Amino acid sequence: MEFHSKPGEYDPINYVPHTESHGTSELWKTFWLLLGITILDFVIYFVMGPSGMRNFIFIFFGLVKAYYIVGAFMHMKYERINLALIILVPTIFIIGLIMGLLYEGNAIGLIK
Amino acid sequence: MDFLVFIPLFRRVVIIPLMANQQAAAFEKQPMWSGGRSPFNVSYGKLMMWIFLLSDAFTFSSLLVQYGAQRFSNAESAITTKWPDPASIFNHFPFMHGFHLPLLFVSVMTFILIASSVTMVLAVEAGHRKSKKEVQKYMLYTIVGGAAFLGCQAWEWATFIHEGARLDSNMFGITEQGYKHLASVSFGDHFEWEPGDRTWGPVPFAALFFIVTGFHGFHVFSGVVINVVVYIMTIRGVFDRRGHYEMIEKAGLYWHFVDLVWVFVFTFFYLI
Repeated sequence: MEFHSKPGEYDPINYVPHTESHGTSELWKTFWLLLGITILDFVIYFVMGPSGMRNFIFIFFGLVKAYYIVGAFMHMKYERINLALIILVPTIFIIGLIMGLLYEGNAIGLIK
Repeated sequence: MDFLVFIPLFRRVVIIPLMANQQAAAFEKQPMWSGGRSPFNVSYGKLMMWIFLLSDAFTFSSLLVQYGAQRFSNAESAITTKWPDPASIFNHFPFMHGFHLPLLFVSVMTFILIASSVTMVLAVEAGHRKSKKEVQKYMLYTIVGGAAFLGCQAWEWATFIHEGARLDSNMFGITEQGYKHLASVSFGDHFEWEPGDRTWGPVPFAALFFIVTGFHGFHVFSGVVINVVVYIMTIRGVFDRRGHYEMIEKAGLYWHFVDLVWVFVFTFFYLI
């Protein structure tokens, strides 16, 4: 079925919102930030010995990088709040999966 | 789902008063779901791209969580199941054969991907200004960056296979002697495995490395193909005729997602 709308009427299939450039300064700032965190990862890997604290720092840095990639590069900061919620809220289930499977894996490791 | 009624309330009471842009705040106040407008204020294609990326995020997280579960389920006591230290495996750099340079090559790969991500977002920004020349330039940079990343990954795989990793076996069970040998070298020293340093190690380590980086590499490959298609469309002036450069944004979303996944692959396979 083809959808036809009258001229001047809202057309859900072909609707494209008007977008404006926010300039490039924020993008370059994000780039330097991501690069800095990656270099920091590299440095911490050699400065600190393997430990739970170091793993925590790496995961925390990963989440910071994810925030900046999604927020600035993928433009999520400028999207409407309801779009951000339908995309970001379901990822809560991943945390449940991580906790469940790490617990199970640990239990299997103890039996081995 | 009764608690969902708090979302519009939250929007009204917290979000809209905090919005700095008056025009955007006025837009938020219009009724959302009574028809005649796009409730998410995005195009159909971009909304579907976001939903696809959400499902892809679940795919990659299931693979990475499987890696975590396998790692936790392998006992530390036996050599055949003890998870190897990534610094002892990924310590090669092109044209620097035989030197102990852990993490350096993957950091370069990460840099390439972040750089290609920023050129992609610059292409999107140029698309907002409808500047065809700049979009072309930045799309070309992005394609080159993606191809460079794929080349790096091919080299990484070739080295790993050459060192003795397969989908069904793994030559990285590092013995006591091997760990002593590793501890004796520092960054940039000459290093070669000696007989007795290694034996058969945990199979899931190599298998999951190939599966997860392979799956990610296939995503990068698809991203490069999409970018090439969009680049050709830009050259042919398709978007000028259409009146907007929305397609660059959709390709960009996919490309940034590939970068996002790499952040976590880098963290879990190489750092931890």
